Amino acid sequence: MRNHSFKRSVLIRGLFIFSLGCLMSLLLMASTQAHKVNLFAYAEGGTVFTESYFPDGKAVKGGKVLVYDSRDALLLEGVTDQDGLFHFEIPKMDDLTIVIDAGMGHRNSFTLKKADLEAGQ
Amino acid sequence: MNTKKTRIMTAMAVGLFVLLAAGPAAAHFGTLIPSDAIVTREDQTTVTLDIKFLHPLERHFMEMVKPEQFGVMHKGKKTDLLESLQARQGKSPDQAESFTYWQAEYPIRRPGDHTFYLEPKPYWEPAEDLFIVHYTKVCVNAFGLEKGWDEPLGLETEIVPLTRPYGLWTNNLFTGQVLYKGKPVPYAEVEIEYFNDSPGNINLIQAPEAPFVTQVVKADVNGIFSYAMPKAGWWGFSALSEAEWTLKHKGQDKGVEIGAVYWVHTRDMQ
Repeated sequence: MRNHSFKRSVLIRGLFIFSLGCLMSLLLMASTQAHKVNLFAYAEGGTVFTESYFPDGKAVKGGKVLVYDSRDALLLEGVTDQDGLFHFEIPKMDDLTIVIDAGMGHRNSFTLKKADLEAGQ
Repeated sequence: MNTKKTRIMTAMAVGLFVLLAAGPAAAHFGTLIPSDAIVTREDQTTVTLDIKFLHPLERHFMEMVKPEQFGVMHKGKKTDLLESLQARQGKSPDQAESFTYWQAEYPIRRPGDHTFYLEPKPYWEPAEDLFIVHYTKVCVNAFGLEKGWDEPLGLETEIVPLTRPYGLWTNNLFTGQVLYKGKPVPYAEVEIEYFNDSPGNINLIQAPEAPFVTQVVKADVNGIFSYAMPKAGWWGFSALSEAEWTLKHKGQDKGVEIGAVYWVHTRDMQ
């Protein structure tokens, strides 16, 4: 009898911890979603301009920007300013993948096509 | 007995005739519908906008001359797009003739909300003995930046959304505020219709009774109204006011119905 109720309480505790875990991961997921970072880039006059922002328009300050070519080789990196901006000279006529890494799993990428670079020389 | 029957028959026939003569209960809607409401990097980033004057549920076109104003507001800046308009012809399956409507293409180049706006030339409606001008808006979101949708444009009359007007599920509540010259319109009457020709609508809605065609809600004292949209596709909200000004028709002063129209899109939750 005693043994039985002990088992039950372990089971209940296990269930409780499990559901707490579920709830926490849900909450974490939700906050990631609500703080999804974005990077937008365009080329103009030989320069690639990037802006990094959260959906509500807040700038990603001090975010790490990584620029890769079509073979995934890192070409350059930099840091966004107070307005979430970072710009650089066109490093290579290639499809560029530009990654914004704002830490804490806030990461997103943007592909700037070779054609966009050529149009923005 | 026989005469009584005849009388009833006559009364019924007259009743039917009056109903028919009153015509469809459909409301006119300035219609401004983009090919996509949420533009991402993976999508086609040029949107096509259809500009029509319609009975949206019954799919009937009305002739539309080139609008007075057509443009887009992005990050607080308005850009005139009138010259991008192309005349097109269209009709519903049960209309004999075709009517002029307008189309524009706009390449979205920057993140943020793009609110497109339209001011048509006044439309003379003999059945109502007035002119109709519908100031119409729709919002297209681009590249993950959800900013700008809640800003008024400063049109004569307009609906300003209080619900973010994109990314809405079917049955979501849409809340907006009706402004006239920038001030809320207390108890404004808002007409709502489903656009039966919404892309992807395989199940055309036939109104079982006239009142089902156009839904009507009234705003509160602050001009704020809400409506839950029961089907996937495009929904038009039209708040009607009478202008303080008149226009001449054949030398006579006529009233002008000004509408603040807003379009929102819903998707089934799946």
